Amino acid sequence: MKIKILVLTIFYLISSFNLSYAANSEKVDQISKNLRCLICQGQSVYDSQSDFALSMKILIQNKIDEGKNDEQIYDFLKNKYGEWIVYDPEINKNTVLLWVLPLILFVFGGILIFRKVSIK
Amino acid sequence: MLNQIGNYSLYIALLSSILIIIQSSILLNRNNINVSGRIFSLISIQSLMVIISFIALIIAFIISDFSNETVYTNSHTSKPLFYKISGTWGNHEGSLLLWLLVLSIFLLIFTITSKNLSNKYRILTLFFQEIIILGFLLFILFTSNPFMSLFPIPKEGTGLNPILQDPALAIHPPILYLGYVGTSIIFSSSLAALISGSVNKTWAKHIKDWVLVSWIFLSIGILLGSIWAYYELGWGGFWFWDPVENVSLMPWFCLTALFHTILILEKREMFHSWAVILSIATFSLSMSGTFLVRSGILNSIHTFANDPSRGVFILCFLFILITLSIFIYFFYQNKIKNNFTKTYIVSKETAVLVNNLFMMFFLSVVLIGTVYPIFLEVVNNDKISVGPPFYHKLIVPFLIPFLIFMAIGPNLNWIKDKINKINLQQILFFILSIIISFIFLKRVGISYLFSLPLFIASIFLFLITIKDFSVKKTNLSQKISHFGFSLFILSVLVNGVLAKEYSSNMKVGDERKFLNKTIKFESLKVNESKNYQSLEANFKISDKNNSINLKPEVRVYDQPQTITSEADIKSTLYSDNFLVFNILKNDGFYNVRYQIKPFMIWIWISIILISFGGILSIVKKNG
Repeated sequence: MKIKILVLTIFYLISSFNLSYAANSEKVDQISKNLRCLICQGQSVYDSQSDFALSMKILIQNKIDEGKNDEQIYDFLKNKYGEWIVYDPEINKNTVLLWVLPLILFVFGGILIFRKVSIK
Repeated sequence: MLNQIGNYSLYIALLSSILIIIQSSILLNRNNINVSGRIFSLISIQSLMVIISFIALIIAFIISDFSNETVYTNSHTSKPLFYKISGTWGNHEGSLLLWLLVLSIFLLIFTITSKNLSNKYRILTLFFQEIIILGFLLFILFTSNPFMSLFPIPKEGTGLNPILQDPALAIHPPILYLGYVGTSIIFSSSLAALISGSVNKTWAKHIKDWVLVSWIFLSIGILLGSIWAYYELGWGGFWFWDPVENVSLMPWFCLTALFHTILILEKREMFHSWAVILSIATFSLSMSGTFLVRSGILNSIHTFANDPSRGVFILCFLFILITLSIFIYFFYQNKIKNNFTKTYIVSKETAVLVNNLFMMFFLSVVLIGTVYPIFLEVVNNDKISVGPPFYHKLIVPFLIPFLIFMAIGPNLNWIKDKINKINLQQILFFILSIIISFIFLKRVGISYLFSLPLFIASIFLFLITIKDFSVKKTNLSQKISHFGFSLFILSVLVNGVLAKEYSSNMKVGDERKFLNKTIKFESLKVNESKNYQSLEANFKISDKNNSINLKPEVRVYDQPQTITSEADIKSTLYSDNFLVFNILKNDGFYNVRYQIKPFMIWIWISIILISFGGILSIVKKNG
């Protein structure tokens, strides 16, 4: 009986480990797609098989295991490697033009067209 | 020997270029302008010389003449003949010579085909085109000469980058360049038309063919690049928003906008200035593209060869051309007849303006996303990356109204249309697309915020473009291109939503379950080829009903020593099975990535359809 329980517990542990591993590795994929592989030429961490990318994936996995959420992981990486590593630049005083300029152009162009055509 | 032939013919071409510029300036000051036989023969000589130098380079590559530095650094005797030839333009020097070749041949074609137009306009176009040719000749001869001699002559070359040894990539640069260089004619002729005061119907009709030709080549060039990236880079995607890809997309947006504007100019004599501005912008973007790629300031997989001094040269040249054209524009702008007729809000004219607005928006997103990081780094030394999430966030929300406008616009009449005409039939289609999208997303189990409106808009466009085939009013080439575009958007969306991917480390004999399929790593063998060794794996993918075998390779090229992964792809009309594997350091384990990519083939087919519409339009007009 005891053995049976032991086996069941071990089995349960393994399977639950596998399950959480699977869920986590999806998370790793999702995060690593947004990261630049710093030693490669224009590849994401996810797509690269370089040593850097592999150790990055392990690092992300560890952070997830520590219970960190996405934002904490991105922040950690940005602190360590700089903004360069993330493909999705956050909006701050440096990047506000990057995000807003196309929108301004669109509005401006829209007004220009609207003034040229007659509504009636 | 070949080096000398190449060099001399380039110098003769340089001389002809200077003579043509002088000759055309003299002619322009005369009252009675006549395109004399002398100019025509100079242009012919110039083209001939450039052709000779290009052939000399090709021969040097074929016979592996290592006294030529370009051949030495980019070829090897063990290369297959096909890649020896494509190696000619697989490097910086050779690709610029190809630019020049297309430039001068296009000018020759222009001179021959424009005989029934005003002589002043023709001479001016020649003049501007020769300035561009002169710039390229100087650039080639003094910073990137493909005919540098080496002594003592090396016995063996250092080889061509193996990822370039691929059929799609062998023809990708020439096709793309035909598109890029075609825009130079548009540029020169728009300035010429501006100065000679002939920005009008006749000009629009004449330049439309050049716009179409450039646009077709650019589209197909981009397509080839995408297909190559899909199977060679081994990531399973077809567009990565890589800076160099973006650079080819920018003139495409501009050309698409220009083409629609030119149609209005031809039919309704409107938007003269805008057409000229777009013509200038299109070529500036093509040139900047070359600058960005060749200067090496972009962090990209494409920066194979680079050297800052070359970048500086192109930057200066670009600066001169743009300043010159802006100057000319403001100086001669008042020559444009401003017979702006009233446009009503519901009309084909407005629809084209809206098309242009969206094209300019997409262009600005891509342009700003590509160059902003460069400027930021110069200004305050901050390095940022702008990748796919940025482009998706800005482009996708605007795609929704764009697709709906695209469905409605082409069915509007010129000048003025009634609003109520749009209603009934289109509302029915719209409701139908809501239902289809809803059912589809429910079955797939996706609930993204943007998915539903995006699917509704693209299915709406898809249905409308199919319906339009039954309407006689519009022309067939437009219907095909627009249908192709709707098919493209739809395939990309479905592909994005339904793609499945599995990645794992496996040994020979391992078996993995994925969805309802079994992936079995059956065997591994070593093959010897002419200039590489390959490790060929055999995977069996099976489900209940059938099984397929996929045989991806890892190649080890010897000259230069490089490892590449060759994906194996089995395409059907419904989906692609994509499998690629990589060597890991752990003994016996390989990283295996298996992907199911639905409707992948339709992405390629739709782009071919889009281009085919353009081809049909040219054939119909001239046939």
